[in-house]
Amino acid sequence: MRGIVFSDKTETLVQALTFFRQKMEVDAAVPAENTQPLQEYGAKRLYALQGTGFSDNVSEAILGIIEREKYDFIFIMSTALGREVAGIISDRLGKEIIAEVFDFNLDNSKVRTKRFAWGGKTVTEEESDCRIFTVMPGMTEASRTSEKSEVVQVKLNDSKISLVQSIPKSSSTVDLEHANIIVSVGRGIGKKESIDLVMPFVRAVKGELAGSRPVCLDYQWLSEDRQVGLSGRKVKPKLYIAIGISGQIQHIAGMRGSKTVIAINKDKSAPIFEEADFGIVGDLFQIVPALVKALQQ
Amino acid sequence: MIYLTYNIIVLIKQILDIDQMKTNSTTGEPITDGVPMRVENLSKNAIEAAVRIKEKYGGKVTGIIFGGEQSSSAMKEAYAIGVDDGIVIKGYSGRNPALTAKVLSEKIKTLQYDMVILGNQSADTYTGLLPGKISSLLGIPLLGNAISIDPEEKEVKVTRVLEDHNVVLKGSYPVIISVSQEINEPRLPAVLQIIKAGKREIKIEKAAVTDASSISVISDRAPKSERKKEIYEDQEKGIPVLTRVIKEAML
Repeated sequence: MRGIVFSDKTETLVQALTFFRQKMEVDAAVPAENTQPLQEYGAKRLYALQGTGFSDNVSEAILGIIEREKYDFIFIMSTALGREVAGIISDRLGKEIIAEVFDFNLDNSKVRTKRFAWGGKTVTEEESDCRIFTVMPGMTEASRTSEKSEVVQVKLNDSKISLVQSIPKSSSTVDLEHANIIVSVGRGIGKKESIDLVMPFVRAVKGELAGSRPVCLDYQWLSEDRQVGLSGRKVKPKLYIAIGISGQIQHIAGMRGSKTVIAINKDKSAPIFEEADFGIVGDLFQIVPALVKALQQ
Repeated sequence: MIYLTYNIIVLIKQILDIDQMKTNSTTGEPITDGVPMRVENLSKNAIEAAVRIKEKYGGKVTGIIFGGEQSSSAMKEAYAIGVDDGIVIKGYSGRNPALTAKVLSEKIKTLQYDMVILGNQSADTYTGLLPGKISSLLGIPLLGNAISIDPEEKEVKVTRVLEDHNVVLKGSYPVIISVSQEINEPRLPAVLQIIKAGKREIKIEKAAVTDASSISVISDRAPKSERKKEIYEDQEKGIPVLTRVIKEAML
């Protein structure tokens, strides 16, 4: 069996290569500027896509590689670009696709996959003849191999789309995926200024600060790259501390992999308590400073 | 001065209101009976984006829903926000994005358009495949994950959100634009608009579709929570426990 993995994000690609190289022989396609750190993750061949990539020309390049190499499986990592490319490629190949899988197993000629359904409320396990998938980040921990990939340069064709400008985001240094302890705040903190009150606690536990979707997207109290949830980061820290987070299923889907979960919420019936190992029902503005004090003793 | 007007098609998805959906406490399976439908939130952002372009530059917004029996109410909601014409195509049978893309593209091909606008993902399955599929079927460029849309004479400029940075892209009409949630805050239509919308006509069509899928569902269950659930209502008791757990994790 042979497969190819595409991702425009190095971090998710190395996870996927680590996972899929144990199931089959894999190649990978990546933007050329990402080639360097990727050569030791078990891809036999690494196709370096040269030029500015958009959904159309990246899809075309990958379709060209697929046509030549006749892969059994195509895996596209779920990023903004990846999902678009997956839509285009699956249409052009006329092949059925399963999206957002987080587990994949070969069972004779069939494939068994798992993905979240109903907004993350359930996990659906499916059996199919599908050969193309989009893959959620975080399938496994990335690890290196001793063999180096052979790098093949591929020039991207011109796109119908043109790039006018690239705007860097200010705080893309947040590394929630590797954090040992995450302190995550939700709507319950009430206002942006309350984050200042939570910060002494974040420092006391030597944690990373994160937030729910409303906090990061709707109110923008925190930057988007700190959002934990089905549509944000999927994290698995040793300890996840949810403060003022009700525990909507979209949020749970992003932190379910945490080893231990602590919840602080004033609402006794908040769903977060169903997903917590330890919790206190009460006013976070009393509890959080009390915890800081207790930790310093 | 030339006044430009735009023909905009907005694709609207109606989903089961998943926030109201529960799972069976013993089997963990979803209970979908009696759960109402709602207009998918990102579709509301797409409608709002389309209507704002029309309000600023002039033009016409046509809404299309590939849905079922309850889709007329969703279209009326779209009318109240400002959609001019509505087409409901019945025959939606479930979650097959390839089929949805085919039905929608075939309809779009019969209409005049400069822009097709839709949500980038939907809250029930998060597949995010539709923008790419439709762009492929229509053979038009996809400007995806937009948080702003600036139409110009021959091209449209879009700010696209990526994971670690944003980019501004440009493409010539016709284009397909998928929007991200941050693009706008969908308006709450005034009562008068809602009443007016209720009386407007909706074009109802039917798609003959056959779904030949190789996918079979083995199980669909809520993941079991194996958490300890040691919850304290007395802070005096809870704080020492939490402190111990945090200190252990910090080691």
